[in-house]
Amino acid sequence: MPANKKYLTTSPWLRLSKIMAGTVGGYLVMISLHLLLTRVFPRENVVATAFFTGYILWAFLLLWAFVAKNVWQVWLTYAGLSLLFSLPYLIS
Amino acid sequence: MDNRKYNIYFHTHTVSGIIICVLLYVIFFAGSFAFFKDDIAAWQKNSSYVASWQSTPRDFNGILDSLGRHHQLKGRDFELFLNKNGVAGYISMLGSNDSIVKKEAKALALAKAKATPAGEEKKRGRGRGRGGEDDAAYFTYDFAHKKEVNYEKDYDMGEFLYRLHFLAPLNVIRLPIPLGAPFGYLLAGIVSFIFLFALITGLLVHWDKMVSNFFTFRPWAKWKTVWTDLHTALGVIQFPFQFLFAVTGVVLIVNSVLLAPFTKFVYNGDDKQLYADLQTADNTTYEYTYTPLTTSFDLNQFLTQVEKKWAQSDINRVFIRNYQDANMYVIVLAAPHAEASFSGTGKLVYRVRDQRILQETSPTQHSTYVSKVRGLVYHLHFGDFGGRPLRVMYFVLGLMGCVVIISGILIWLVARDKNSTPSRERKFNFWTANIFLAVCLSMLPVTAFTMTALLFLKNAGQSDIFHLYFYSWLVLGVYFIARKNIALTNKQNLLLSAVLCFLLPLLDGVVRNNWFWNTFTQGHFDILFIDLLFLGLSIISTVVLVKMNQRKEVVTPQPVAVGA
Repeated sequence: MPANKKYLTTSPWLRLSKIMAGTVGGYLVMISLHLLLTRVFPRENVVATAFFTGYILWAFLLLWAFVAKNVWQVWLTYAGLSLLFSLPYLIS
Repeated sequence: MDNRKYNIYFHTHTVSGIIICVLLYVIFFAGSFAFFKDDIAAWQKNSSYVASWQSTPRDFNGILDSLGRHHQLKGRDFELFLNKNGVAGYISMLGSNDSIVKKEAKALALAKAKATPAGEEKKRGRGRGRGGEDDAAYFTYDFAHKKEVNYEKDYDMGEFLYRLHFLAPLNVIRLPIPLGAPFGYLLAGIVSFIFLFALITGLLVHWDKMVSNFFTFRPWAKWKTVWTDLHTALGVIQFPFQFLFAVTGVVLIVNSVLLAPFTKFVYNGDDKQLYADLQTADNTTYEYTYTPLTTSFDLNQFLTQVEKKWAQSDINRVFIRNYQDANMYVIVLAAPHAEASFSGTGKLVYRVRDQRILQETSPTQHSTYVSKVRGLVYHLHFGDFGGRPLRVMYFVLGLMGCVVIISGILIWLVARDKNSTPSRERKFNFWTANIFLAVCLSMLPVTAFTMTALLFLKNAGQSDIFHLYFYSWLVLGVYFIARKNIALTNKQNLLLSAVLCFLLPLLDGVVRNNWFWNTFTQGHFDILFIDLLFLGLSIISTVVLVKMNQRKEVVTPQPVAVGA
């Protein structure tokens, strides 16, 4: 049995929006978080850690874009988090 | 887990899985064989590495001497990358730091370029070239036969399968806009990332019933149940293995996705510093002094000493800076044997003038965090930390990954093969599965066929292997697609695999007298291993074929798919 359609997105635009939020938005959150971490920890260690945590975090953020009930909430959250994480850069 | 979430996980798993399945199958299949890259190369060339690699003395001075016959070496930088099996290395001779030598070389290169018409320039090495500005040289050197390796001519099946597993042959497709990586690598990276996503969603689908599903196997039930159980049980058993390959795969092939922002924002665009921090390069500059070196220097002797000093490791990179200048340096980097230390990089900086070691880090003693992570990525992906038994285990797990992919495609097809599905959709689904399975399943017979055919081809090069492999794949693929019968595709492929995988060791014995007992007594264990591997694959194919026929007699056969 394929997945029950009543729980899935029917509009192709909404689906595209989710995919974009998950890939682009998720990537921005992931990378800005790791860039922020370089302020606290030695930079080369953060880069090396990101080999594992970066891609895994990104994949989960991609998933959340599909699971969340409202895609605008995802866009807002990801934009907000990316902004928050890059604050130290924007200020300095 | 609520119904909504379950269905979303289910659907995202299905879609991501079906998008990547064919390419992922190719990656898994070729990658599994790539664990035996060196063995396959030895098998094809009929020259055992195992028998020769310990006894091969590596003459580094000889390389410098022969280069010196055609080039002015004064003030040059050299970089030597030594292969793991120890009998070959990639050598690059960079331009000189001496402005006079540089000028002469430039003039010479210009004169040469004028003499040879454009496009006919002799290509050396694998395109690490930096334009025709100077007479830099890049090439692979074979220490055993003491000759420069011609990449295209000395190309072998091991290299082919290894490069196929990250889709390198697709690099011929040029992208209209440059995306930072060649098309094949980029595609392999994207597949790897979607694979990671499919793994996570797949695990979540089975999360609630993980334990009970794991112990469920109903081989006598309907085909669809068999595939579902197979997909679930094997998928869960292999989850850690596949997960680490998804992650390390992305890291190894398209890590620039991650490194580019770090370079830009944290390193202010200084990528050399980043790579130095990640211990993949040495970016220290040593000043050229324009005063000749007065002491003599023997590279062979020096490297032998270092090897003795670091017994449980292999020298993998040697950098020479300012050759024959008073400020000449030799930097040696070494990796420890996995059983001595899982991670770590040995580094030695040696100043030739006063024979002083300025910096020394033993490969086995100290290991930084970065080097630990790197060790993890490389060792886990290449499976080089437990000898042949571990590689065999990796191989089996890799092929089991192929089984998970195939069963996934079949579940996808059968779940949609109902009367309620519109016939147009059913037709499309059938053709998709038909094409996918024809492409995937013919890989094993094609691999065995190509390798067997190479027994009869003397001096087969890159183009021969490409033609044999891709054309036979095309022919077989088109044939099975045209037959429009998935059960037949499966059965005939098993039959072909059983026959061709058996012919491989048999003909190796007939043509080259490499019977099992001969290779065994001669100690050519790598050649013996490949023969045994294919004999094993032949036996497995036969057993599956027999079991499938037996089953048909017991249960009424289920139509695998309706030929639409």
